[in-house]
This record gives sequence, C-alpha cells and structure tokens, in this order.
Amino acid sequence: MEKREELRAKVRDILGKKVRFLRRQGLTPANLYGRGMDSTPLQVETPILERLIARVGRNALIALRVDGDKKPRLAMIRDIQRHPLSGKLLHVDFFQVEVTQKVRAEVPLAFIGEPPAVKTLRGTLIRNLTSLQLEALPTDLPRSVEVDLSVLADFDQVVHVRDVTVADGVEILTDPDQVVAHVEPPRVEIAPEVEEAPAEEKKEEGETE
Amino acid sequence: MAQAGNVLSFGEFGLQALGTSWVTSRQIEAARRAIVHQVRRGGKVWIRVFPDKPVTSKPAETRMGSGKGSVDYWVAVVKPGRILFEIAGIKEETAREAMRLASHKLPIATRFVSRDAEGGVS
Repeated sequence: MEKREELRAKVRDILGKKVRFLRRQGLTPANLYGRGMDSTPLQVETPILERLIARVGRNALIALRVDGDKKPRLAMIRDIQRHPLSGKLLHVDFFQVEVTQKVRAEVPLAFIGEPPAVKTLRGTLIRNLTSLQLEALPTDLPRSVEVDLSVLADFDQVVHVRDVTVADGVEILTDPDQVVAHVEPPRVEIAPEVEEAPAEEKKEEGETE
Repeated sequence: MAQAGNVLSFGEFGLQALGTSWVTSRQIEAARRAIVHQVRRGGKVWIRVFPDKPVTSKPAETRMGSGKGSVDYWVAVVKPGRILFEIAGIKEETAREAMRLASHKLPIATRFVSRDAEGGVS
C-alpha cells in the first residue's frame, strides 16, 4: 500500500474574525468535513502545511491525525485560500473520504505537446479551461489530466472536453462540449495611420483636373 | 483588497495592482497600447478592468453653484490585488517587458504575475 503523508491538526476553539490571531502565531485555520459528518474547525502549523501542499498538492490523500484520535482520518485537501497579494495561507478545507465512496474533485489540466498551428502558422494558443471536474474513487483520482495539443493543426480545430481521455473508473463531470483549448490566428499588425495623406492626394488630383 | 478579479483567469501572465486608485479610461487605453505595441504580432490581451464610474467636473473659471458639473471622464475603481491585464501566447520575457511598459502608464504600483508562480492554479 502507498505510504500516505501524515499531517497533525488540533481542534480549534477560536472561531470567526479572531482566527487572525492564530495566523500571527504561525497557525492556519482549517476545517474538516465529509459525508454524514459535521464540519470540525481545526488548526494546523503553517510551515508544515505549506511543505505538505508543495509536496502533494490538492486532491492527494493524506492521513490527518486530529488530536485525540487513535486512528488517522483519510482526507484530501479540497480548497486552499490564499491572500491575494502576499500569497500567505488563509484557510484550508479538508474533505474526509472513504476509500469505497466516489468523490468529486477539481483536477488541474496538464497540456503536453506544441500545437502545429502555433509552430507553423504562428497562432496563439488559448487555454480555455485549466481544470476538470472529475468523479472517481479517492485512490483512482489523478493528480492531473493530460491534454494533447498536437492535434491542433489549424485554426478551425479545437480540443473539447469529450476529447480528453482519462483512466478507467474516472468520470468527467465537466460539460463535454466545453472547449479546452484552441488556437487563434495571429493578430494583424495595425497599419500606420494614413488619414491626412489621401486628403492631400485628392487635392492634388482636383488641381490637375 | 479586491475581492473579485484577483486571480489570473484567461492568460498565462498578468499585471496585478498593488495599490488603490481610480484608473481613467485614457490610462487603461495607453497601457493597452503599450502592451500591444511591445507584443506586435501574436499573443492575446485581456483587459480585466472597465471604467464604469463617471467623474464630473465644473468648467474652469466658473462660479460655484448652478448645479453639478458635467461628466468629464470615466474611471475604473482599482483595489489592491486586482488583475488589470492578462496576456497569453507569448514568451515570459516579452510579457514581462510589455507589462513593465504598461505599468508606466498607470497611476498605481503594480507587479507581474504568472500562472506557473501561483502555486498550481486548479
């Protein structure tokens, strides 16, 4: 069996706006919730949590040991809130899962290959989606979904969600008709302004007549 | 702090506001032109702010009274964290230079942001 990352958390008594004092002490407020259970407020040491996020990212299964628990709980990081400017952790959501129950998760897309339309026709690759909503057993959930861009040979071709392939047992919940990526034709350089020149030419023409 | 429009949504690179200010339609257009001029061909630019707030002023050398002045210009209210411009389809160095030039047309401090550096946008 794959060894899971372990994270220790404590039950949090400080709620609401007062959690800012926790953040100053190097603790990140978090919540643990899941199917058929009440949400439990937690607090986790920020440096440890940052390192864990950097190592495993979202959607990875972790063993969450809340103080007082004999057995660790199986959970995944569902949401990470960061400060828009400083990028510091504000809050983290943990989702308690059961190995036998399917879960839904937002999984990032990994684009591979260079579209020929960009290489030869000098188009611009537009990535319309950055993630897909998937449903699978927690153990089957991929870290990322690969999208092959080498099929984009001209500007008329697009990669739809239905073109994306995932492993057996994984279901894509995002609308299959949604566009994942396409290539736009290159922007035409704006011609220099020639407003006055034609007027002068007209004058000259008028004079010669 | 900008509660909306504070993450990259369309492009790979962006220009993020670090301060609060009213950005006029002229400043937005000047910055947009600076980006387009630097990028030349290729690339796609998104403008993430819109000047929807009218600012009125009275004509010069007018006595006070006789009602409110007429609309002089339009501004976008920008708060820290707001993404002002986004760009895709070009190299990072070009995008960085384009955003640097654009930042000189704006009345606020800004910084260059990229999707890769955001710590895994999902």
